[in-house]
Amino acid sequence: MASTQVALSPRPNPPGPGASKPLPLKSKTLNVDNAKPAASVAASRASTPGLETELDAGAQMNEQVRNRYVIDKKIGQGTYADVFSAHVRSDPSKLVAIKRIRLQQEWENGITMDSIREIRFLSELKHPNVILLHDVFSTKDQKISLVLEHLPLGDLEEVWLKKDKKDPMIAYTQADIKSWILMLSRAVWFCHSHRILHRDIKSNNCLIAANGCLKLADFGLARPFAEPGRKMTHQVITRYYRPPELLYMAQHYGPKVDVWSVGMILAELTLRQFMCPGNTEMEQLNMYCEIFGTPTEETWPGVSKLQCYVAPDKPAAQRGHPKSWWESNFGLIGEDGRNLLRGMLTMDPKKRLSSEEVVKHPWFSSSPRPTKMEDLPTKGKADLKRFGDDLKRHAGELDSGRGDKVARKLFG
Amino acid sequence: MSKPAARGPSNANSKDGEICPVCKSSRYLNKHMKFLINPECYHKMCESCVDRIFSHGPAPCPIAGCKRTLRKVKFREQRFEDLKVEREVDIRRRVAAVFDKTEDDFETLRDYNDYLETVEEITWNLILKIDVEATEKKLRQYEAAQKAERNIQAQTYQPDPSLPSDTAQVVLKKSAAQRRAQGNPTGNTPDPASGAGNGQQTEPGLRFKGLKKYVPPPPEAPFDPFDGWAIEPQYYVTQNDYDVEWLTRAINDPLHIGGGYDMRDFYSWALCDAFSGFGVFVEDGKDVEMADVF
Repeated sequence: MASTQVALSPRPNPPGPGASKPLPLKSKTLNVDNAKPAASVAASRASTPGLETELDAGAQMNEQVRNRYVIDKKIGQGTYADVFSAHVRSDPSKLVAIKRIRLQQEWENGITMDSIREIRFLSELKHPNVILLHDVFSTKDQKISLVLEHLPLGDLEEVWLKKDKKDPMIAYTQADIKSWILMLSRAVWFCHSHRILHRDIKSNNCLIAANGCLKLADFGLARPFAEPGRKMTHQVITRYYRPPELLYMAQHYGPKVDVWSVGMILAELTLRQFMCPGNTEMEQLNMYCEIFGTPTEETWPGVSKLQCYVAPDKPAAQRGHPKSWWESNFGLIGEDGRNLLRGMLTMDPKKRLSSEEVVKHPWFSSSPRPTKMEDLPTKGKADLKRFGDDLKRHAGELDSGRGDKVARKLFG
Repeated sequence: MSKPAARGPSNANSKDGEICPVCKSSRYLNKHMKFLINPECYHKMCESCVDRIFSHGPAPCPIAGCKRTLRKVKFREQRFEDLKVEREVDIRRRVAAVFDKTEDDFETLRDYNDYLETVEEITWNLILKIDVEATEKKLRQYEAAQKAERNIQAQTYQPDPSLPSDTAQVVLKKSAAQRRAQGNPTGNTPDPASGAGNGQQTEPGLRFKGLKKYVPPPPEAPFDPFDGWAIEPQYYVTQNDYDVEWLTRAINDPLHIGGGYDMRDFYSWALCDAFSGFGVFVEDGKDVEMADVF
């Protein structure tokens, strides 16, 4: 039987005679009673020597899910995961990305923490601005594969960061920034209202779908809100986006940590550079204190009890940058925008805006209205112009150069 | 339109028409010579002549026998070798921009074909220069009516009442065409009565049978910060504080306060957990198909 090789192949969806076998799998992926395709799979196995002739219900389900997708090509490789572009077998126009978690040295006996978190939270969160997890399955060699939405247009960092001279500069306006930040804030609000802390919000993790929609991804560091008294680690969130309370090593924090990160992204988009690129945690904290003024017990009640707090020696150190500094650096987003930015970048987490207050902020409803997501500038459009017809033919596909970047950003 | 006939068979370059009829300079003398035409009369001349003659404003065409006034901005390179084709394409483009209805805009295919016939007639009249005056007038009338119709629709929509909108200026800038069409509720054609008001326009404009009424694009929905998503507790109201003994330590702990831990997050979470499952009946959910993720 031709499917013998199929069964022994380590690849999850080997092309070949086995792959072309029509499987009547349409919707009910999780329906165990749907015995017909499972039986056919089991029958094909029956003659295979050296393999269990009977698959239990879980394995059958897994097989079904795996067979729904056909892998096209590898688009990225990292230490943590390999990423493939794939399509749905029943409808080749539907593209997905498959993230196959690599086996880690420290986690030989089980699934890594990151992927457990990712599966756990993504299967719970369904929102237009949160990356959609279609399915999860395991491959022959016990590797977990996540079937994720296909987001071909890179991430938010590529929008403002010019990595090398060849990169075209993407021009955007206040309305565009508004639209991105609004979509991101909605995603963060949605997570928080489901009592989930993302804890790794950065522009690298804001991916852009083919229609321009921004999607929050990478829930590898997410966790639910902690009960009172339960300690959480302060070693989360990429340094540039880490809020001051985490740098002061607070272990009881709340959803406001994510709001700071969103504020940092807003600042980045406006400045077109990292706002506080500290090389070490100390340096990062120094930058904050320089801009916002060193916090004291008056400006931030309770700060002096935090583990790493150092009181300012001079009263001058308590003063942050004046209003004129904000006006000259953040002229693009206007008075309302600066108001929101300073609300999100408030040192004291108690005074910082909550994610709900951010979404409701008048900056978003005031003129100019946020750009419609289809009209947002993207790198893809610039590429389209450059390569013209060539790319038009392959609309929606990844070319290898850009795809690699996506994958690295997505899952690196 | 005939091409300028300023060529001598003795000149070797003349075969390619490489001599400017105005300044008689040839490609032999100037390698980078570029010929331009003006869609007013389609007379060819070289770029330097255009610069020289028309830089200081509109001037008559220098070709003998052509008295049309040309402007420099209108000069362009010719796209087709045959200037007749060039002219026809220009005319067709202009007519097509005005008569931009599609089959979907008409009730029946017959009506659409009638419409196409009318349009083609206008096009050929312009190309063959039959009745140019009247045809041009028809074209302009129809264009103005169309524009007015769409402008009125656009003007009725106001994006956000709270904004200091530009409507005041829009009203000031209202065009004559708009004013004319505002007295005309059907909109498809300019009202003959208003045309009569202009003095000369006695002829009614174009009318097309079976043309559906112009439907403007639906106005943009008002801004919703949450994009239609709402998460509100249904069975309980969360208070700001609860007097529970086992929580007092955490409430007063400076580490919780300084780290930004918000007890209200915990309260709403605990209440949500306590009430989750309310209003959910297993029997109701049985028949619900699992929603396909795609």
